[in-house]
Amino acid sequence: MNVAIQILSSGLTLGAIYALSTIGLSLVYGSLNMLNMAHGALLALGGYVCFYVMGVLGLPGLLGVPAAMLVCGLAGFVVYQLAARPMLASGGFETRIFIATIGIGAILGNVIQRSFGPQPVAQPLALHGALVLGEVYVPYQNLLILFVSVAMMAVVALLLGRTRVGRAIRATAQNRDAAQLMGIRIGRVYAQVLALSGALAALSGILISSLSGLLPNMGGDPMLKAFVICIVAGLGNVFGAVVAAFLLGLLEALIQYLLGVQYSFAILLLIVIAVLIWRPAGLFGRRQVVRL
Amino acid sequence: MSALLTLERVSAGYGHQQVIRDLSLALGEGQLAALIGPNGHGKTTLLRTISGLLHPSGGTIALEGRRLDRLRPDQIVEAGIIHVPQGDLLFPEMTVLENLRMGAYLPEAAREEARRLEEVFALFPKLRDRQGQLAGTLSGGERRMVGIGRGLMAGGRLLMLDEPSLGLAPIVIDQIYEAIATLRASGRSVLIVEENAMRIAELADVLHLLDNGSFAWSGSGAELLSRPESLAAYLGA
Repeated sequence: MNVAIQILSSGLTLGAIYALSTIGLSLVYGSLNMLNMAHGALLALGGYVCFYVMGVLGLPGLLGVPAAMLVCGLAGFVVYQLAARPMLASGGFETRIFIATIGIGAILGNVIQRSFGPQPVAQPLALHGALVLGEVYVPYQNLLILFVSVAMMAVVALLLGRTRVGRAIRATAQNRDAAQLMGIRIGRVYAQVLALSGALAALSGILISSLSGLLPNMGGDPMLKAFVICIVAGLGNVFGAVVAAFLLGLLEALIQYLLGVQYSFAILLLIVIAVLIWRPAGLFGRRQVVRL
Repeated sequence: MSALLTLERVSAGYGHQQVIRDLSLALGEGQLAALIGPNGHGKTTLLRTISGLLHPSGGTIALEGRRLDRLRPDQIVEAGIIHVPQGDLLFPEMTVLENLRMGAYLPEAAREEARRLEEVFALFPKLRDRQGQLAGTLSGGERRMVGIGRGLMAGGRLLMLDEPSLGLAPIVIDQIYEAIATLRASGRSVLIVEENAMRIAELADVLHLLDNGSFAWSGSGAELLSRPESLAAYLGA
């Protein structure tokens, strides 16, 4: 029983973090067919902005989080304006933006390293203490991560399902030409999606760094896992990605308990390969990519 | 009769391949005009150029004198040109109702949403029962009705229909044609692309035969019906 609670607690925390870092990636792929390889650098940027506002400027965390989301949202917008928008006009967009965002990610990573140094720093936004359930300690930090992630996912779901902006995003993802014929300005939708994805990356980066600390290249591993989750769920399927994220988080926690940390990523990749052999379009993918 | 839509020497295509050449066309208010002719001769390209999905490489397009040929598709919708594309292009993961409501996305259309929704349901009663069904799971005929209905939700000044009877069973084609006749009777301006020239000739005020990117013949439906033999070579009849 205690073991189950322990696994559940760390699995759900991992899943929440993965889900949050995957949603943005999935949204961007769903609406633009763009694999954003700068996503990891945006995670790190968000973590460092929060660190800067709280640790260096000494302001409260309630300012640090929105500041980080704002900065990364703007960064996403800039990626659209300077890289995606000019490339959308001509052919071969998917390949070119893939390579371009690798470059953008490298530049961002270098800027962060120049500004904050290569050594790890602690994220000041962290709760201490734990909830004691029998003999099991569930850190408050884990609960906070779970709460913030689920709340943010609810906000995104409401945005997509209930607002005019969300309808435009879903329409654009499902059929770009038809969306334009409804009077939707898809250039604006793309910019909004990249900004939203940046803001979500910031929040995710803050949560990740509150557990494992800040490093300029801290976004690489979560981004890789986010890609894995996107592919398992079916690229561009946001709701599937959330489910897959929690499944993989729980699975990872279980593998870590049974076999040890060093096996978790290898087994995760094995599962992905198995899923793709079994269902090439992903777990929740239909023959075509299911969009939003 | 004043012209609603005016095309002057419009050329367009994909990359270096020119599909339509120096096309001129005037469509009057309340008219039903049909573009006929064999496949692959630029009918769909012409509609896509008017709605801004393609930019013309030359010439001008105007709606009631206002130039449209350098505008984005969303601005052209706002100006009043509604394009129901070939193959419907529905939003497959949205319900029928959500699809129809997307047609009224622009604020001006959104204000009329409730009233127009009733009009669409009056035109296609089947859609009322299918409201909650995902568009991706509909039959071909139902899909076509949603596509046309979604266009009607937008209102607009000119409705463009690209092959509304393509790939449908004869009985469904009859239903679609009935709806087109109703629209025409209500005084709507319509530009329709149709393979079946004889069928649309019964309804259209004017027909334009598009051959190899330019108009080979224009005339009324009565003219076409009275001497179809002169056009048989084009229409493969």
